Amino acid sequence: MKAAIYYKTKKFAVNTIIHLFLISVAITCLYPLLWMIVSSLKTQDMIFKDISLIPHQFRLENYIRAWQEGGFGRNFLNSILYTSSVVFGIVIISSMAAYAFSRLRFPGSKWLFIMFMAAMMIPIPGSFVALYVLLNKLHLRNTPIGYILCMINVGLSTSIFLLKTFFDKMPKELEDAARIDGCSKLGIWWHVALPLAKPVLAVVIVFNALTVWNEYILALIIFDNRQFMPLQVALQTFQGEFVTNYPLLMAGLTITALPIIIVYLLMQKYIVKGVTQGAVVG
Amino acid sequence: MLIRSVVLSVFALFSVLGCSNQKIDSKPTITVWHWMTDRDSAFQALAKKYESLTGIRVNFELYAPSDAYSQKIRAAAQGTNLPDIFGILGEKRDFASFIKAGHILDITSYMEADNSAWKNKLFPKALAVNEFAPGNSYGINPGIFGVPIDIMTIQMVYNKKLFGQLGLNPNRPPKTFQEFLDIGNKIKAAGMQGLVSGWGEVWMIDCLANNYAFNIMGKDKVLATIRGEVPYTDPDWIRVFSIFKQMQESGVLAKGIVTMINKSAEQLFANEKAVFAFNGSWCVNVYKGMNPNLEYGAMLPPAASDKYPISIWGGAGSSFMVNARSKNKGEAVKFLAWLTDQDQQAYLAKETNNLPANKNSLSKIPEILAQFARGMDYATHPNIWGVSEFSLVIEAFDRGIQSIIIGERTPEQVAGEVQSIKERELAKKRAR
Repeated sequence: MKAAIYYKTKKFAVNTIIHLFLISVAITCLYPLLWMIVSSLKTQDMIFKDISLIPHQFRLENYIRAWQEGGFGRNFLNSILYTSSVVFGIVIISSMAAYAFSRLRFPGSKWLFIMFMAAMMIPIPGSFVALYVLLNKLHLRNTPIGYILCMINVGLSTSIFLLKTFFDKMPKELEDAARIDGCSKLGIWWHVALPLAKPVLAVVIVFNALTVWNEYILALIIFDNRQFMPLQVALQTFQGEFVTNYPLLMAGLTITALPIIIVYLLMQKYIVKGVTQGAVVG
Repeated sequence: MLIRSVVLSVFALFSVLGCSNQKIDSKPTITVWHWMTDRDSAFQALAKKYESLTGIRVNFELYAPSDAYSQKIRAAAQGTNLPDIFGILGEKRDFASFIKAGHILDITSYMEADNSAWKNKLFPKALAVNEFAPGNSYGINPGIFGVPIDIMTIQMVYNKKLFGQLGLNPNRPPKTFQEFLDIGNKIKAAGMQGLVSGWGEVWMIDCLANNYAFNIMGKDKVLATIRGEVPYTDPDWIRVFSIFKQMQESGVLAKGIVTMINKSAEQLFANEKAVFAFNGSWCVNVYKGMNPNLEYGAMLPPAASDKYPISIWGGAGSSFMVNARSKNKGEAVKFLAWLTDQDQQAYLAKETNNLPANKNSLSKIPEILAQFARGMDYATHPNIWGVSEFSLVIEAFDRGIQSIIIGERTPEQVAGEVQSIKERELAKKRAR
């Protein structure tokens, strides 16, 4: 009886500690989001004077002003185009490359893979000037295709690494069965490898979508034409060197965050699976 | 024959159609790349005005934030794609490297035309940041290479309402250091917060310390110290370090000032929770956003000595340069001359709360901006000293002052430590 009470109390105490810890982690993650939404409904001076999380007046017009003054319409479409094109490009190229690295034997494959992995170590800002000069020579600077190609390149290494790790663990018997059924190498990649890699692909999609959606420095460098700029560049309109228009910036950030939160929610179950299956090992 | 006629007719038709769509436009379009988000709408309005006056279109293209803008400028310089007008952010050596690479036009002849009419309109100290003197250490031919479009000074501001609560005259800020310390005692007694500033971002400590160094020992001795001819253990430098100890002891410094970032300092001052702030003239815009009803005035740091005038950091806030390779460089220079005219400068100051680079615009701008702008008479800046201190010495100097404020070290100890680092760096330099 005593032992039962002891174990029940112990379990309760452990659960309480774990839950308290998880609640505190959740609060630290959610509080900035909450502050962003609340601030987007206040005036500039109220943000600095009134720290309460419930504004006295809800200034919904901040959203309309942010949309209009930031010129979000065009930039929003651009961001959707860049994100979807880049993610599509990365998924196709990295899954093919990862499958080839994992299953095909060809001279120099190891070296090629190491070179791809080495590219992961190069910080993106370090390559900006080189990319600019290269795109300039190819007459692709200030064109959406130039930007999309650069961003595909940025996301390839990590995606290949994730997918190759998964394909290495994939049972070979499945491929043998497909080969007996008359599948070509491309057929096996399409009909066997890709469907099995859904959880890892979800991770690749979410990680890369997040990177492209939030990217603005490369866009700012290679585009001269404002009509090609992504959404994140429009957000900078509200952020001055010394003065920041917080209500409009927060309204803009809320608008900007929404699509990526939706993508994350849609992919959530696959991401959890991908992570538990060791997709993000290393 | 028929074929020949058809070919000729088609050729003639295409030639006519081809020519008919070409607009012969003798007026160029000037492209300006900038990073100043808060000034963009004012620039656009001025560009429209300029187009209506001259027929020349000016495209102001905003690329913010400033660090991304800097990268864009560097990348564009590599690809020789710089626009007609642009700005360079960074230190003077960055500016010099652009000049050496042939990207920036020498505008001395334009500035000095008509008995230096353009040059004389601008604050000389704002121009100095864009000027290279004969024999400069960067190896640049002497001349003016940039146009200041606004200026900035770093001074003290005081809250008039809190001054009244302390029984002080809100229209008479302290002039001497002793008066300042006496106010510190009153602040302490009233349980208020004194001076706030971004001293967690150490360069602002460096700034105030240099103000007092110029005041106590004069410019020549400060520069001699930087050259290694006077040690930091000199009694005048000990006095500079002691200024911070005295401020701390009197209660004139706010609690936690050594780790305070400037945004927090601005918020405290704007919310009337601090009596003084040490900040740049950009604060006018910041305070306006945070608390439009704030009543405050600008003042020079109170002098600690009668021997030399107090100096403050100031100069060109933002400057524009003309692309030496631009086919529109003549028009670009004309536009910048127009942009720095009295009326355009007053408009920019009113709309953006920045200080005008044109000294004749002061009568047309709000009083608080004029107070900051009048400080230009006392302005100096490390960029125009011609010598620069080792970064390790600056770091030890600033960190040392922080440790004096928190009572970890004495002024003498800090002076000794800074001097030993200085000697080590000088020895390294000689060995090279």
